[in-house]
Amino acid sequence: MPTIAIVILVVFSAVLAGVIVVRPATTVSRAGKILAFCVLFFLPLFCLAAGMQNEMTRSESTAFCLSCHIMEPYGKSLHIDDPNYLAGAHFQNHRVPADEACYTCHTDYAMFGPVKAKLGGLRHLYVYYLGTPPTPENIKLYKPFNNEVCLHCHLGARSFEEGVVHNADPATLPAIKAGTLSCISSGCHETVHNVGHWAKDVKFWSAKD
Amino acid sequence: MHLGYSIDRRLRISGIFVICGLLIEALCLMWARPIAFVVLVVIGGALIGIGVLFFLYSLVSGAAHVADDSDAAQHKR
Repeated sequence: MPTIAIVILVVFSAVLAGVIVVRPATTVSRAGKILAFCVLFFLPLFCLAAGMQNEMTRSESTAFCLSCHIMEPYGKSLHIDDPNYLAGAHFQNHRVPADEACYTCHTDYAMFGPVKAKLGGLRHLYVYYLGTPPTPENIKLYKPFNNEVCLHCHLGARSFEEGVVHNADPATLPAIKAGTLSCISSGCHETVHNVGHWAKDVKFWSAKD
Repeated sequence: MHLGYSIDRRLRISGIFVICGLLIEALCLMWARPIAFVVLVVIGGALIGIGVLFFLYSLVSGAAHVADDSDAAQHKR
């Protein structure tokens, strides 16, 4: 449901609740009782559920993640005009949905991956508003990047399965698939966001409208 | 007379809680920031929850009073 539709429904429900507050005598009749049940029970719970669902969906958007100032350089890194920058290359070539870029790569595809990501988001909020947030270049992942996230898309793809480097050593591909050889930190695809370590003459790409 | 006043008052209180919760929800939905989600769930959700529970309580307590009144009327007969 679009945000504006939920807002209209919420305001409409508040107005109806206002009628009950101003004229509680309307609930004496049978129709008034039904109205009171809808306005003071069904509609508020429905609006709350719809609002929470809307916020959950919004929290998966790239714009949502980048709305914190601390994440601005990470947003900029998505536009670096250099294919060696993994995040930028994925974002610019739509290997990940551009409007859910952060969420796509930073959420485990396990059963409770999205829940863990949301809890991690609450932790970010706590640190941002009540703690001492680190500088952007000092932000670290809570745990090493999980190969499963990369394999969710790349497993079975020709470029991955038949890649020259991946097949140079027969042990490499099984190790990547088993998660014992990290895609990121093993030294092969380690240039991801690299905030704070950009070259001085780094160029940025912007999509043509 | 007292019963009617009591239910009206409870409905009013319930409605005020619900309205406050809904207005906070509307503001949070328009305010696209990460903190808005927490405000919506913690404050908006709590206010709506209290309002709904108070409404249910007013129904239950109202029904109990009606039952008490009808029992008293039967005893008088």
